[in-house]
Amino acid sequence: MNVALVLIKRNVKLFFKDKGMFFTSLITPGILLLLYATFLGNVYRDSFVTGLPPQITLSESIIDGLVGSQLISSILAVSCVTVAFCSNFLMVQDRVNGNIKDLRISPIKPSILSLSYYFATLISTLIICFLATAICLIYVAIVGWYMSFVDVLLLFLDVLLLVLFGTALSSVISFFLSTQGQISAVGTIISACYGFICGAYMPISSFGTGLQKAIMFLPGTYGTSLIRNHSMRGVFNEMQEQNVPSKVIKGLEDMLDCNLYFFDNQVSIPVMYLVLSLSVVILVGAYIFINVLKKNDR
Amino acid sequence: MKDIIEINNLNKSFGEVKAVDDLSFRVKEGELFAFLGINGAGKSTTINIMCAQLSKDSGNITIDGYDLDKSADKIKSKLGVVFQSSVLDSALSVYDNLQSRAALYGIVGEDFKKRIFELAKMLEFEDLLKRTVGKLSGGQRRRIDIARALLHKPKILILDEPTTGLDPQTRKILWGVISELRKSENMTVFLTTHYMEEASEADFVVIIDSGKIAAEGTPLQLKNTYTGDFVTIYGIDEDTVKGFGFEYEKIRDAYRLLVPDTKAATELILKNPSVFVDYEITKGKMDDVFLSVTGKSLIGGNEK
Repeated sequence: MNVALVLIKRNVKLFFKDKGMFFTSLITPGILLLLYATFLGNVYRDSFVTGLPPQITLSESIIDGLVGSQLISSILAVSCVTVAFCSNFLMVQDRVNGNIKDLRISPIKPSILSLSYYFATLISTLIICFLATAICLIYVAIVGWYMSFVDVLLLFLDVLLLVLFGTALSSVISFFLSTQGQISAVGTIISACYGFICGAYMPISSFGTGLQKAIMFLPGTYGTSLIRNHSMRGVFNEMQEQNVPSKVIKGLEDMLDCNLYFFDNQVSIPVMYLVLSLSVVILVGAYIFINVLKKNDR
Repeated sequence: MKDIIEINNLNKSFGEVKAVDDLSFRVKEGELFAFLGINGAGKSTTINIMCAQLSKDSGNITIDGYDLDKSADKIKSKLGVVFQSSVLDSALSVYDNLQSRAALYGIVGEDFKKRIFELAKMLEFEDLLKRTVGKLSGGQRRRIDIARALLHKPKILILDEPTTGLDPQTRKILWGVISELRKSENMTVFLTTHYMEEASEADFVVIIDSGKIAAEGTPLQLKNTYTGDFVTIYGIDEDTVKGFGFEYEKIRDAYRLLVPDTKAATELILKNPSVFVDYEITKGKMDDVFLSVTGKSLIGGNEK
């Protein structure tokens, strides 16, 4: 056990000391923040206001709260996965620069080595994502706070689950990478595409029907929706208290992916948790399986 | 002395390329064993197979009584390896690096602290413990590489071109430590090197070429078999040298003749006592052996 702890410590230290990996992992949330601050925030604000029936007027605070919640939910949904990928690239870099040889010539079990990378990635990603969550909450407190204590706790739970998912997914994909070029290619693809396919950059409801149905098969979508639900629920509750019709609120929830529909059936929040948790278990199982296969293949 | 490494009929191919071709040799416990060959001859492939980093196509390897196929982990704990290039974590300190590597062998806590200070004293790096590995000079980093390989007191130390590019002082420290460990702990050293003066200090030498053994023996046996003796005669004219009928070359203030062996040199001297007033007889060098065996020299490790 001590061996695993020392290796996890080594991997976490390396991640935070490697300025390249650390700052690359912060690029995605940084870009999102910049995009929102520059123009997306205003686009969403205008679409909310114009989408409301003429007889309903919402306070600036509620609109700011809604836009702010959408911003932070997008940032967190994407970061939990992209940061995990950046952090897991340490495993690939160890292969690229040959350091892995130095670990493998020892009598350490390959399973301990693999799990040390998994847990180190998990810890590094959690540190960054929990820190990002705290910063996001400060931002929401400034622009318009409507979250309850339970919402905050559930938001942290969502981030934890999504980080577990991102770590497992990145561990499986990184397992097959062995060159610097592959790291760059996968990093670029994940940074550019994941935000779209998980519904963080653009609401799923704005995609075509076929694409919407395809995206519902991806577990990350449910993670994004969970984060959206828990960061926006307070705003919707406040709207309800201000007598905004339920139909209007439901329309907004649909538009912002708080409600997900799997072939026209609404997916409940417990089912979203179940899908995400199961995908973590399956991906971790796959990671262990490919490691065992590789060991037998030596 | 028992055989600590036994390799029998080892084969390994990469596609069409046969990297190791029916290789068999023995290494005796406590000896300095030199494994020579140009780059691509199959040295690293053999070492990687011995360290269980690479699968073999066929053959048997037994190390310290353990069969590699059945007890790879037992074998790994007997081996310390210094790779051609450093594989430590550049971003971490010397202490952190050695701590993480020691843990791989179950050396943690007080045991680790005791061991690291022993090694730091032995390899003279007490003042480097807090320094980042990436900021060390080549020689300093090499000392840390050696310390890493010795952390778990291995029975066999594999040195894969350990002194390439090192300054004479660091080479001296390194070989001093290795000699001391061989004496005090009967450690076996498996060396690959491009420096033939290091190979000439070995107890036994195997030269491989294209994955096969091209020659093997003690340095003396190899010199006797594959090179002649050199007789250097001072204060002699070229016509006289030419008359001896041996291959020769002019050096600064003398002529150097290549004779088949020491016996031929003795006969030459006895036949021409008046000419041999100031002279010396030397054996061929390991460079000459290598050139004679493989038809290639080892300048920079590449075929020349």
